[in-house]
Amino acid sequence: MSSNSRQAHSTSGFWRRSPAYVPSKIDIIYSGVGAQVGKPDSGRPSSSTLAQAAAAAVESTDAALPLAPPPVAGSEDETSQQQEELGTANGIDTALNPGVIAADPHEQKFHALLSASNVDIEQLQKQSWKGIPSKHRSTAWCLLMGYFPLNAGRRELTIQRKRKEYDDWVRQTFSRGEEALDRTLWHQICIDVPRTTPGSALFQNERIQRSLERVLYCWAVRHPASGYVQGINDLLTPFYYVFIEPHLLGTGDQETAAVDVGLVSGLADKDIGAVEADSFWCLTKLLDGIQDNYTHAQPGIQRQIIKMKELVARIDGPLAAHMDSEGVEYIQFAFRWINCLLMREVRLSSTIRMWDTYLAEADGFSTFHIYVCAAFLLKWSKTIQQLDFQQTLLFLQKPPTESWTGKDIELLLSEAYMYKCLYHNSPKHYQ
Amino acid sequence: MSGNDEYDYLFKIVLIGDSGVGKSNLLSRFTRNEFNLESKSTIGVEFATRSIQVDAKTIKAQIWDTAGQERYRAITSAYYRGAVGALLVYDIAKHPTYENVTRWLKELRDHADSNIVIMLVGNKSDLRHLRAVPTDEAKQFATENGLFFIETSALDSSNVEQSFQLILTEIYRIVSNKAIESSQDNVLPGAGAQIIVPSADDHTKSAGGCC
Repeated sequence: MSSNSRQAHSTSGFWRRSPAYVPSKIDIIYSGVGAQVGKPDSGRPSSSTLAQAAAAAVESTDAALPLAPPPVAGSEDETSQQQEELGTANGIDTALNPGVIAADPHEQKFHALLSASNVDIEQLQKQSWKGIPSKHRSTAWCLLMGYFPLNAGRRELTIQRKRKEYDDWVRQTFSRGEEALDRTLWHQICIDVPRTTPGSALFQNERIQRSLERVLYCWAVRHPASGYVQGINDLLTPFYYVFIEPHLLGTGDQETAAVDVGLVSGLADKDIGAVEADSFWCLTKLLDGIQDNYTHAQPGIQRQIIKMKELVARIDGPLAAHMDSEGVEYIQFAFRWINCLLMREVRLSSTIRMWDTYLAEADGFSTFHIYVCAAFLLKWSKTIQQLDFQQTLLFLQKPPTESWTGKDIELLLSEAYMYKCLYHNSPKHYQ
Repeated sequence: MSGNDEYDYLFKIVLIGDSGVGKSNLLSRFTRNEFNLESKSTIGVEFATRSIQVDAKTIKAQIWDTAGQERYRAITSAYYRGAVGALLVYDIAKHPTYENVTRWLKELRDHADSNIVIMLVGNKSDLRHLRAVPTDEAKQFATENGLFFIETSALDSSNVEQSFQLILTEIYRIVSNKAIESSQDNVLPGAGAQIIVPSADDHTKSAGGCC
């Protein structure tokens, strides 16, 4: 089943070429006009739209190599894919050929962008859409999240102040021992932290787990409207991983070295504290944008599920009709996709790559995510249409993404971007 | 995942109980004979099925595993509708999860069909040295509240099969008796089929603990 759908999908040849995160700069290239796009018969973009999109792309300065993946798109190859999700894999660039890195213009652009005395945030977003080189990711994420000031002169002081502020909270919160904590909340966090990314040696480390507990507890007591909700623990891990990664690189140059979890015990409290504080502030920023996903009855998720269902119905009528006739409700499978931002469906390294793009998109974690969820579902359209209710649910609870590489993620993001361009702000389009 | 398997009865069952008591592992043990010490928390609901034979009839259980955290109740309680059975799970080594059973029963009263068959399940019976809930106490509570009772261990498999067998057989018995009463051949519960649950006293039975 999975091979069928993957095969079907591999025929859909189009790549998002340019880093244009600005919707007006549509630069999607189709390998053939009217290409299948792995998509349903109905609702396929008209050739005139495709031509416009292609024309727009050609105008874009970055679209010089129309039919090939962008340089970074292929960065996570089979080698890194076979590595353990975390603990050995060094983010997205692990398997890049070092010879290529030396001359990688994408990496150079990041270097230039991030060394500027005033970071050009629009350029940073634009470049980040294509994926951020791992050695620049930590800084880039903090800037994109709005945590680090764009002005380099103010940055260090602000960071120190924010880290101290968090550190003071932690001291204050935990100074009177566990007995003084909210028992229900603390209990829930303590049973969830050990089952957070359980396959990862890093997140099974005792010291890291105590650190995650502090972040989650401090966040929860400061956000009583939602409090800690299961799944928020998942959302913390990409930040934590990205921020601790530079501290854990073993021997080898910075691009090829693998994360060595053994180095955790040697980390200074100050370093763990900084990673923890930065993770806390970025998690806070992230959740500020999607808080109603986690308040009572989780209205944000309910709303997004409705949007996703409408979107899929417009893009792929036959699939929508089939799911309807089988009685498959979106809430039965998509609830988790939204609650955990698809983190349960793909590996952590894939999530990290997705977030490069989410951080570059306006409302990436809410609006854009729905297009990603729709694209994710549509990937399996042909397969699902062969399945009954029960088979569909079992399939969608564990979609076959084990073999996914960075290319699959970037294709997913490209498809989501295309749907957003075609359907966002045009509710009647292709209806 | 091969297709349209035949069955005589389709029973919808829900798995409820506090977070971390082992609901997902009970389900994976019963449906796939798998146990995962490091399973992630359930978000919303998860679904699985398995068919068993009772009296030469094929009974298909459609089981909905729910998230234990309070925040998810608004979502998960929607799945109680149409369920003919509920496994209400607590952890024998964690007394608070047993204390919360009363709250879960109220959840069922508020959202499930009134004649739903409920089985109280004390899971993690392998943790003998950590036992915090005496078997007799739980058994008595079950009797007083008209619940079936069993102790299980998803880890070492003990009584898992029996717990599902027991509740499915009981539902089957109720449904088939009802079918005879109303002279119908096939009654598929779920869509408002009436199930008569006898009074608590004569209906309660204990399948015994394993310790």
